[in-house]
Amino acid sequence: MTVAEDIDVAADSPAKATRGLTRKGALYGVLSALMVVFCVVPFILVIVISFGRKVEGAAWVWGFSFENYQRFFVGTLWPDEVTFLYLQQLGYSFYFAIIASVLAVLTALPFTLLLTRLKRSTQAIWLVFILSSLSMSEVFIVMGWDILLSNNSGLPKLFQVTGTTQWLKDVGWFQSLRDIGLANPRNVKFKPSEFATILTMSYLVWPYAVILLYPALSRLDPSLSEAARTMGASRWTVTRTVTLPSIRLPLMGTTLLLFVFLLGSYVTISVFATPDKQTTAVAIYSNIRGSNLNAPFGSAQAVILLISASICLYFGHLLNRKAEAR
Amino acid sequence: MSGLILSGVSKTFGNTRAVEPTDLTFAKGQLTALLGPSGCGKTTLLRMIAGLENPTRGQIKLGDDDITDLPAHKRKFGMVFQSFALFPHYTVRENVAYSLIIGGMPKPTALEKAESLLATVQLNGFGDRRVGELSGGQRQRVAIARALAQEPQVFLLDEPMSALDAKLREDMQVELRLLQQRLGITTIVVTHDQREAMTMADTIVVMSNGRVEQVAPPQEIYHRPTNAFVADFIGKANFFDGLYKSGGVMIGSQALETPANFAPDSPVRLAIRPESACLAREPGQNRIPAVVGFVRDLGPVREYHLTTDIGPIIVEYAAGSDEQKLTAGDKTLVHLPADALRVYPRTAA
Amino acid sequence: MRIGGHIFIALAALVLALPIVVVCGAALNGGRSMFFPPRDPTLARFGEFFVSEPVWTNALANSIIVAFGAATLAVLIAWPVAYLLWSSGSKLSKVLAGLGSLPFAVPPIVIGVGLGFFWAFTGGLGHVWSGVVSHAILLMALPLVTISIGLQSIDRSHLDAAATMGATEQIAFRTVVLPQTIPYTISGFFFVLVLSFNEFIVIFFVSASSYATVTLQIFNSLRNGYTPTMAVAAITFLVVSILVFAAVARWGDLPRLMGADQSKN
Repeated sequence: MTVAEDIDVAADSPAKATRGLTRKGALYGVLSALMVVFCVVPFILVIVISFGRKVEGAAWVWGFSFENYQRFFVGTLWPDEVTFLYLQQLGYSFYFAIIASVLAVLTALPFTLLLTRLKRSTQAIWLVFILSSLSMSEVFIVMGWDILLSNNSGLPKLFQVTGTTQWLKDVGWFQSLRDIGLANPRNVKFKPSEFATILTMSYLVWPYAVILLYPALSRLDPSLSEAARTMGASRWTVTRTVTLPSIRLPLMGTTLLLFVFLLGSYVTISVFATPDKQTTAVAIYSNIRGSNLNAPFGSAQAVILLISASICLYFGHLLNRKAEAR
Repeated sequence: MSGLILSGVSKTFGNTRAVEPTDLTFAKGQLTALLGPSGCGKTTLLRMIAGLENPTRGQIKLGDDDITDLPAHKRKFGMVFQSFALFPHYTVRENVAYSLIIGGMPKPTALEKAESLLATVQLNGFGDRRVGELSGGQRQRVAIARALAQEPQVFLLDEPMSALDAKLREDMQVELRLLQQRLGITTIVVTHDQREAMTMADTIVVMSNGRVEQVAPPQEIYHRPTNAFVADFIGKANFFDGLYKSGGVMIGSQALETPANFAPDSPVRLAIRPESACLAREPGQNRIPAVVGFVRDLGPVREYHLTTDIGPIIVEYAAGSDEQKLTAGDKTLVHLPADALRVYPRTAA
Repeated sequence: MRIGGHIFIALAALVLALPIVVVCGAALNGGRSMFFPPRDPTLARFGEFFVSEPVWTNALANSIIVAFGAATLAVLIAWPVAYLLWSSGSKLSKVLAGLGSLPFAVPPIVIGVGLGFFWAFTGGLGHVWSGVVSHAILLMALPLVTISIGLQSIDRSHLDAAATMGATEQIAFRTVVLPQTIPYTISGFFFVLVLSFNEFIVIFFVSASSYATVTLQIFNSLRNGYTPTMAVAAITFLVVSILVFAAVARWGDLPRLMGADQSKN
């Protein structure tokens, strides 16, 4: 009987109807103002400040110059001297993000495919686990891998105790590990290294990959691949000729989204990447909140990151539209 | 008589005309069926009557009151939806009492009234159930009780049987008709099923392509369809295209006599019900040589599928009739009685 | 499913759980340093985190205020936007929804920097309330999506039915729309709650070091090396996440929220 409580008497007059209309208008007005102030103004501020100038020994002043952008692409002293330091940082942003996102999608794909074939209730349990891991702060994840990869405890220690290190030395692979920077003279050494960076970044977005692929894969029509099987196609042939082509677009869309997300990752890079391979996100941080205190230059880098991300998102959007049109 | 009167009501969605200008009168206390194939505009017409769509043009009057611009919640015509649209978050009793409670009736009274309505549709004791626990037939009864709770002046049903299985459908048609007659409420049912329309309706409105084709009682619709579309849509019919000559119709080289009158050489379409045609032994007027292709014995009726010079013809006999017993391959004659042949004008194609 | 599939799923679960297990184990360390497996296991660190160390208890209080405040605010803003989008489908409502999702779609460091400037000019920098607003803006996209999914799941004929029974738009909203979308609203609230708890970059820029949430406090402490108390924080947050998502799965339709095809079971 309690549910009936919310069906209630409501007085209803013509005056109320017209008031309803103006109320809707007012609602639109308030929401538009909110969105513009909070979702647009911050971006505009970043863009405007990126044209400002830093004043030595002070903060910065408004202005309109392209010197921050010039500095980003060719350095301050151009044309006398050219430096690609900041472009190189952007390059590393892309490098880490591309490898990590592709790796995450490639490993998440078979997992999600298997997941969608489980019972609905079992799927829900897995989704709880994956969502929990997805929401784990980058800080916690970095902490976990940092402990796992650290020299005193974690995997290197495990390698030594179990004799794996000795075995690697015996078969001669230890030298190869040293060549690529994953070992010191005594034992394997996983951080700082590209390996640790990419591993952690992939781990970071792996649950996202599952969640993003899940809708597309759970809508795959099983009768399609069953039809192919009745026509004599092997399991692998079915995957290659039926499953993969039908999820090609969501696959690419997911990779793009993860890539954009990873472009801005900060904690992982600052902990695991070697100092010569820092990225634009780290540079933005140090310019705005860190030691450099050069907000305009940091903003310019943020704008460039934003533009890179927007271009990728736009392509992702096109892919989605194409996927939906089919 | 204060029925529901539509004058020149039409509806246009974008560039498509869903309902052509329509004049209809729904007599008070009668059950009218809007019958037609899907997409013929019957549901749009019903939604305009309910106030859920605004007519592009025209006027809707209830008795002497113009209700064209009255919104749905002020018309309060009870409506049963194709999906039943029962609220899953309320109990059965609360669903039925919904219109009463939001209309301002004190809750205990409303819920009591709901209980008695549930009794009318033979659902005593189901009040505390959730909608999800009901079968299709029970849901339909709840939907009917809910729509009737507000004692509407007009009762609307949109394809009310389509979610039920065939057996239940027939029972519910009879039950609904009896309930409607007992309450004496003006009722409009949208359906695409001619048996349903013929079972329940006082008057059938046949529609196609947004146009009203014929308005008549069921028997008249069946026996005297005003055009070939109605003849084809209601029941089964054999059709032949030909040219009208004085006193008869030429179909190829075959002449058939009919009492109808048309201008000489105008293209016409002939229609005859399978049960009106019969097999014959001796040649005569309107008797055509035929070969039996297939005999379909359904128990209550037997059908002879014949091939003739003027096209395929199906002849139907009720069980117990003593027609000559033929089998596939037999040669015979088919008789198309002149007074059973209906002749419609045809646009030459 | 073949045996290979099971092995792959198990392997994925293992790798996924590995750092989490390590962090959890490390929380039991008796000493001041992180070891795995833990040495001298004790639960004393939990007492430090929840009760005795003001650094952590303050951070926890801030985290809770920001997360609950942001979740409430995000749902309150997302509801009208989702409703307008669903009921009118107008261009303006689409633009509003697009703008609302924008902060979540760009790299978080960019919106973090932007909001940092924004609060610096409006005087909110370093206040907890600006942190609440910032997270609400960043995560508004989540309730926007869940509420939209909920609204789309309402059968339009339910609204027609309510209208033919005398319900005005307001009454239909209260008696039909609201009750049927409550599970989706709660899911959206919880998604914001959990992500706000764990968010780092944006809160880093808008807090301007004048207060710390738990994630900020951990990041600040990273330079001085790990302490087992940090691991306790991680465990707490993980448990909260699992409880929240389990609740969503129990009382809402998690597979559907995640976009699974409804017709399959």
